[in-house]
Amino acid sequence: MNKYLLYTIALVILAFVQRFLVSKLLILHASPDILAIFIAFVSMSTGQRTGTNFGFGAGLIAGILSGDLGLSALLGTVQGFVAGFFHVPQESHATSVKKKRMFYAASATALIAGNLLQSLLSDPLSLPLYVRIPETVILGTLMSMMLTVLLYHFALKKLLKD
Amino acid sequence: MLTRKTTDVSSFFRFIAKHTAYLYFLLYCTLSIMLMQLQRKETLDAIRERGLVINAAIGKQFTDATAIFTQERDNQHLFLQNARLFARLLRQQAALRDAGELKAIVANAPQWTGRFKVARVVDRRFSATENMLIIDAGSRQGVARDMAVLTPDGLVGRVIDVSQNYAKVMPVVNRNFMVSVVSDSTRTNGLLAWRNGNERLAKIEHVPVSSKLLVGEGVATSGYSTFASRGIPVGQIIRISKDKLFYNVDVRLAVDFSSLSWVLVSLAKPSMEKIELMQSPDSPEKGE
Repeated sequence: MNKYLLYTIALVILAFVQRFLVSKLLILHASPDILAIFIAFVSMSTGQRTGTNFGFGAGLIAGILSGDLGLSALLGTVQGFVAGFFHVPQESHATSVKKKRMFYAASATALIAGNLLQSLLSDPLSLPLYVRIPETVILGTLMSMMLTVLLYHFALKKLLKD
Repeated sequence: MLTRKTTDVSSFFRFIAKHTAYLYFLLYCTLSIMLMQLQRKETLDAIRERGLVINAAIGKQFTDATAIFTQERDNQHLFLQNARLFARLLRQQAALRDAGELKAIVANAPQWTGRFKVARVVDRRFSATENMLIIDAGSRQGVARDMAVLTPDGLVGRVIDVSQNYAKVMPVVNRNFMVSVVSDSTRTNGLLAWRNGNERLAKIEHVPVSSKLLVGEGVATSGYSTFASRGIPVGQIIRISKDKLFYNVDVRLAVDFSSLSWVLVSLAKPSMEKIELMQSPDSPEKGE
């Protein structure tokens, strides 16, 4: 099956999982962002341009589900774009350790950028900025990074080797 | 000159081709910001609304699916809540009923005697051997032995024992209870007593066959009674049959003891002088 079609199907499924399952795992006001991890993965493995396109599309789908179309699209675009800086080309013959490091770096950058942007542009709970940024950016990123490690070991590791 | 221009254009396109990601990024960011700005517009509201409908529909399905796991706990919670509400309803209904009865009993209190103390029946024993009532008014409330207990319908009984806050009442429907009565039309006197197992039926004894007693007459306490004031309704004659010397008179009691919950205690003190006189020996003491 075409790799991009597979990514699109996975994206739709993950958007629903994020909206109806992962977003419920709230600690304070932060929750993990599985969609950002996936955007980072796609961007890292396919390149910045594809990652940006993919991020925008992913943001639109997430926006339709959450009702916040513009912000979600912007977040997806930014996440895809910044994760693209850690692109490891297929023909580079990079070691799995390097791929892993780049994936973690791409995920962390995408998550921090996305969470920071979200905490600056959206404030549904009317929390002050000094509460929003630690909660959303630091806690949200830490939780998502834990999920990143789990996802890498259980699913994405094999995909990156291929 | 032309070659230089061609080189410039091609280098521009090369630059563009090399940095398409940046162009896409700018384009998408612009689109996203436009969407954010347009989100307040009606057209996007419709999209957002549709998204929310999908969101809500899926969310509902998701909630329904997870509800299966919490159903037992929810049911238990609802059952407990139901039980609490039911208990509260029962309490309120009882309070309403009590208030209604209390109001009625005070409003209909007979005027032919003095003061009354309203009391609630807190315990009752109706059996073939012992019929007794306990009311929640005692010596602290001014209740004393041998006071008459009644309702607006008629005579209930007589106080036979008193504690500080409670009193024991021997009702009309007790084998040991007797009261002097008189019929309201023919003014026939007799002694009312309860003998059989029917708690609505009593008998009048010692009515000579020469009397003109009639079926349907009302019966009330007479002035001969040692505890009850004169004229408290007791019942109505429903059957008269002749015996050798006396009539067998069946009286349907005025008070329904099966639904008795509030009573009045007549605070009129019984005439001790009269009681002592009646209890004194019939034969005169012999002098030395």
